[in-house]
Amino acid sequence: MIANILDGIVLGLQFGLLAAGLTLVYGLGGVLNLAYGQMAVVSAMVVVFAMDAGVPAFPAVLLGLVAGGLFGLLLDLTILRPVYRLHGEARVLLSLLLTLGVAFIVDGFLNWRYPLKALNLFIGGGAVEILGVPMRRGSLLASAITLVTFAALFVFFRFTILGRAVRSVIEDEEGARLVGIDPHRMLRLILVLSGVLAALVAITRSMVIPVDVQAGFGITVFALIVAVVGGLGSVPGALLAGIILGIVSSIAASSIGTFMSLVILLTAAGVTILIRPSGLLGVKE
Amino acid sequence: MSDRTTATGTSAIGGVEPRISLSLPSLLGLIGAVGVALALVPLWVGDSRVLMGVAVLGLTFGCYAIGFNVIFGSTGQLFLCVGALAGIGGYGGAILADTVGLPIIVSILLATLAASLTGGLLSWIAVRRSLGVIFTGIITLIFSLTFDTLLLGLGWLTGGENGFLIKSGADSFLREQIPPYYLMLVLVLAFLTVHGLLRRSHVGWAFRALRDDEVAAEMTGIDVARYRVYGALVGAGMLGLAGATYAFTEGRISPNTFGFAQVDVVVIVMLGFGGIGTLFGPILGAATFTVVNEVLIEFGQLRVLIYGTLILLLFLFLPRGVIPTVRSLFVKRRATRATASPD
Amino acid sequence: MLEVSALAAGYQGSDVIRDVAFHIDPGEAVMIIGSNGAGKTTLFRAVVGLLAPSAGEVGFEGEDITGMPAQRVVRLGISFVPAERHLFPRMTVQDNLSLGAYPKRPDPETMAVVMDLFPRLEERRSQTAGTMSGGEQQMLAVGRALMSNPSLLVLDEPTTGLAPKLAAEAYEALGVLRKRGLTVLVAEQQVPLAMAFSDRGYVLENGRITTEGTSAELARDPEVRRAYLGVT
Repeated sequence: MIANILDGIVLGLQFGLLAAGLTLVYGLGGVLNLAYGQMAVVSAMVVVFAMDAGVPAFPAVLLGLVAGGLFGLLLDLTILRPVYRLHGEARVLLSLLLTLGVAFIVDGFLNWRYPLKALNLFIGGGAVEILGVPMRRGSLLASAITLVTFAALFVFFRFTILGRAVRSVIEDEEGARLVGIDPHRMLRLILVLSGVLAALVAITRSMVIPVDVQAGFGITVFALIVAVVGGLGSVPGALLAGIILGIVSSIAASSIGTFMSLVILLTAAGVTILIRPSGLLGVKE
Repeated sequence: MSDRTTATGTSAIGGVEPRISLSLPSLLGLIGAVGVALALVPLWVGDSRVLMGVAVLGLTFGCYAIGFNVIFGSTGQLFLCVGALAGIGGYGGAILADTVGLPIIVSILLATLAASLTGGLLSWIAVRRSLGVIFTGIITLIFSLTFDTLLLGLGWLTGGENGFLIKSGADSFLREQIPPYYLMLVLVLAFLTVHGLLRRSHVGWAFRALRDDEVAAEMTGIDVARYRVYGALVGAGMLGLAGATYAFTEGRISPNTFGFAQVDVVVIVMLGFGGIGTLFGPILGAATFTVVNEVLIEFGQLRVLIYGTLILLLFLFLPRGVIPTVRSLFVKRRATRATASPD
Repeated sequence: MLEVSALAAGYQGSDVIRDVAFHIDPGEAVMIIGSNGAGKTTLFRAVVGLLAPSAGEVGFEGEDITGMPAQRVVRLGISFVPAERHLFPRMTVQDNLSLGAYPKRPDPETMAVVMDLFPRLEERRSQTAGTMSGGEQQMLAVGRALMSNPSLLVLDEPTTGLAPKLAAEAYEALGVLRKRGLTVLVAEQQVPLAMAFSDRGYVLENGRITTEGTSAELARDPEVRRAYLGVT
């Protein structure tokens, strides 16, 4: 049981960080980025290509993170321009459709050209015992990195001027403008950040299991579900929802089997959304 | 930047529908004309089994698109479970006929009913919890994924990954080359007629009102909840009926037949192209993209990439779809001609 | 300091205000009065950059700021307190105020002045803005606007929803700020309060300026007396 919970936490931390990127973009700019999974996959592929070309692991990872950020920047500069002219529901719908198009383009390209590529960062060394359960070093490193990233995000949003400025746009966009904050610039920043987060999750995930070219849409769906359950726009919510759903998924998978555990996960998410549409830590409209 | 025109809701994507200007005879006539045109298709692809299969699938998607149009175009509910609802029809009919042993007609009707009620239930839940467009989309997406997972997981019932081989009706006209086409064509025309009549009725008037401004509609006494559920019941019923009929003509269905990527995405693009909320938009979209899809088959995996590019181009440049755009061009031309005429 | 000429603005193609012209000199207190729907909010939003004008010009300290987006206008020294306040509900009073100084760090002196002016804000430093009463939120909105040390403060109906005592206190605070050199532009429905406070005023009716003058002149104007001061 403890093994399941720990595995669930490892999985959940990843879910959470993944969802955080998606939820921030929605909460700040009312944009639903369905190309999110592809951001993660492209970053992972950059790392693969770099390493294939002889670049050592650490710099390759950095390149991957930069790639993720650049993807976000590109989205902002190109596809999202018409989206910004709309507001509210229309904006979400158009952003959803356009990013879906981008997702297909990227996904199609990768699957066509490099159908078998995958990123697998193998972390050597024996298992480490946590609470009597042997955990792989890869899982532990991935979790540690994820926790550090969450801590960094926390510090950023709570204690830096820029972080507070970002929060203020989520709270009240017009109010933010009135104090001199440019909501569009903040959105651009957050899009870049979400790309980096997606990249980070893909890279740390590859320390646990390989991340392949087809993972894109699955990543987006998971990120979306966790983000919605946690409350769109809330990073703590994403973390909480991630961990809970991670544990549920892990326990269900070992006791019932993968198919049913997926059904349980989806149903749990669906029920949570129905009971509390604003999410676990979201704001009640 | 500073305030722009705020376009909210589905009107921004689908376009605000002008008043219906067709009289009943014209409407039926137009539907008839479409029917005649489509009836001629087997004349030149009738001897190719493959191409007839494509044509049947094209008409099936036309039905799906009409059903989705009723749910999303007419009542503004973003149901991302078109494939799943059609799948309830398809798998439901197959299981009832083969496993339970009911006659095909009964199986189809019961499966259609099941799909319709499911759609109505989803709509009712969304209305009760006041879920906006996006959350309705998310909940129905979750439903879609759950359904898909159940199809794969409950192998003993559904055949799992390998699919379901439908034995009922194997020797009947349903599996021949040409009759299924006309069967689906009948469905298409029937759906068009139902949708067309619905739009002209007081129900259709309520639909338009609540899609464009829910609050205003409520204030004029329109029970938004009830009409939304009506729309979902009708639309989902169409999806189930089409799914069930298609299943029996194909003889073999698998989770991929009704998957999100295979059905929902395609239907959204078809309807988006034709014009969300228009009557003939689904037909235009289905016809166009069935042809496009066939052309793209030789590109293999590149198809997905091309598809993505088409989606981008479509929603960047023709966000309201072909029919509304063409209509407004017509209106503009008439207007400029009027103002340009000499005194 | 602020010059507005031939300004027109509105929503979705139709103008709410037309041909509006007024000016403010440094150190003055100017009021725009008018009934509901006259266009006061539209006017302010167009001046401040929350709405793009369809015609006309806005000049501030010699610079043309017509159509400049709000986030840049603020940096030039104009602070706007909208009727809906637009505070950051889940952030503390402290955070709301410090953001007022964006992009700079909050100046401790300015903070002290604001706290002095609104002692209740000092008490509720760590309280979240959304949980405060209407009056306190109004104080916070004004306080936040002051944190950037503006040269011109624009307020849209600052006393809406405030009890008379609080409304009077609000204008007292504005009076203190005026003495320290702040130029104020205020839109009001509660005309007597605004009149006592302002040097000059303009009457906005159906989107156009119909009357202007010093407060004393306006107080004597029979039309103004009838429409806004309830004198028959």
